[in-house]
Amino acid sequence: MASDAPSSTIQRVHVWDLATRVFHWLLVGLVVFLFISGKTGGNLMLWHSRAGALVLVLLVFRVVWGVIGSSTARFRAFVVGPKQVWVFARQLLGISTRHTVTPAEGAATTVMGHNPLGGWMVVVLLLLLTIQVSTGLFANDDIAMEGPWAVYISKALSDRLTTVHRWNQWILLGCIAIHLLGVAFHVFIKKENLISAMISGVRKIDGSVQVSVLRLVSTWIALLVFVLAFVVVGFVVQPIF
Amino acid sequence: MQKKFLLAVISLAIGLGAMWDAAAQAKPEDQVKQRKAALTLIGKYFGPIGAMAQGKLPYDAAVVTRNAGYLEALSKMPWDGFTAATADFKETRAKPEIYKEMDKFNAAAEKMQAEVVKLSAAAKAGDQKAVTVAFGEVGKSCKACHDAYRKD
Repeated sequence: MASDAPSSTIQRVHVWDLATRVFHWLLVGLVVFLFISGKTGGNLMLWHSRAGALVLVLLVFRVVWGVIGSSTARFRAFVVGPKQVWVFARQLLGISTRHTVTPAEGAATTVMGHNPLGGWMVVVLLLLLTIQVSTGLFANDDIAMEGPWAVYISKALSDRLTTVHRWNQWILLGCIAIHLLGVAFHVFIKKENLISAMISGVRKIDGSVQVSVLRLVSTWIALLVFVLAFVVVGFVVQPIF
Repeated sequence: MQKKFLLAVISLAIGLGAMWDAAAQAKPEDQVKQRKAALTLIGKYFGPIGAMAQGKLPYDAAVVTRNAGYLEALSKMPWDGFTAATADFKETRAKPEIYKEMDKFNAAAEKMQAEVVKLSAAAKAGDQKAVTVAFGEVGKSCKACHDAYRKD
């Protein structure tokens, strides 16, 4: 993204750690594959369940990383109250707020990580994926495939959870569409390239903006968390791996 | 004379009885039962082939060949149970769209039977790899109808 402003007024801030970026794009790839394989069926169903288990690994990793990870990855950093979300949304759309914006609220427009709206989208997507994966563990397709835990419950309950699995995919798809629209809004209207930031980890921000200090946690720790999540999920969801 | 008359009456009665049976078979609730039974058995004999194709059970060529043979017959049995007379029946997950798109539905049913024939041929040939491929194609043909014509 070439800018008209001299480079001295642009600061490059490393906002996303490698772990969060790998998590994001791995999840994108898996979700795309899961949708396709879920629609195709046949021999892809075995890989559908394996990919689903891998999503569970990613979810476990992300929840842990949301507590011990880099400052932009932590839930505490981006899950904010409704008032902040409201103020942020109005600022974003250029609607003046009735009261004077306090510095703390003003900072919302230049938050380094997830903004108040995006932060809640992260929570919603993680919750929907959790519903999708956990119902998938108990689901059956009435053909020759069932989730590894379907054997532990009645067929009737498995059928009901399968129905949730089928409906929730569209809710998930809808929220992914909103997520993409939000990103498109930032890229095309606000001229902030969030996509390149999620790839390189670096955000280009106007030099005049006061940037709070971000603490990035080592990728090795992230790898350790990921491996532990993999082992735990692999152990619990044994029949898949 | 009386004997012959009696014989005629008995044969007429048997004949009527047979007709009555044939008529009873066509009752919507029996048609629903018929297709559910056939599809249940298809699931029963298809399941182990799937588990073996996916490596969840050790491959047993004898079981695969036997089951695939059963499936060849069973795959023909559900379809004449899908008649418009059953469209309003409550205890079924079959969508009423079936009876508006009978051509498409029958084509999908024939596709499934054709895939089962391939599965059985692969099983008889003792070709485990071909069985796995054919299993996937049969599964897809099941899914095509489940997705289009079955209520959640």
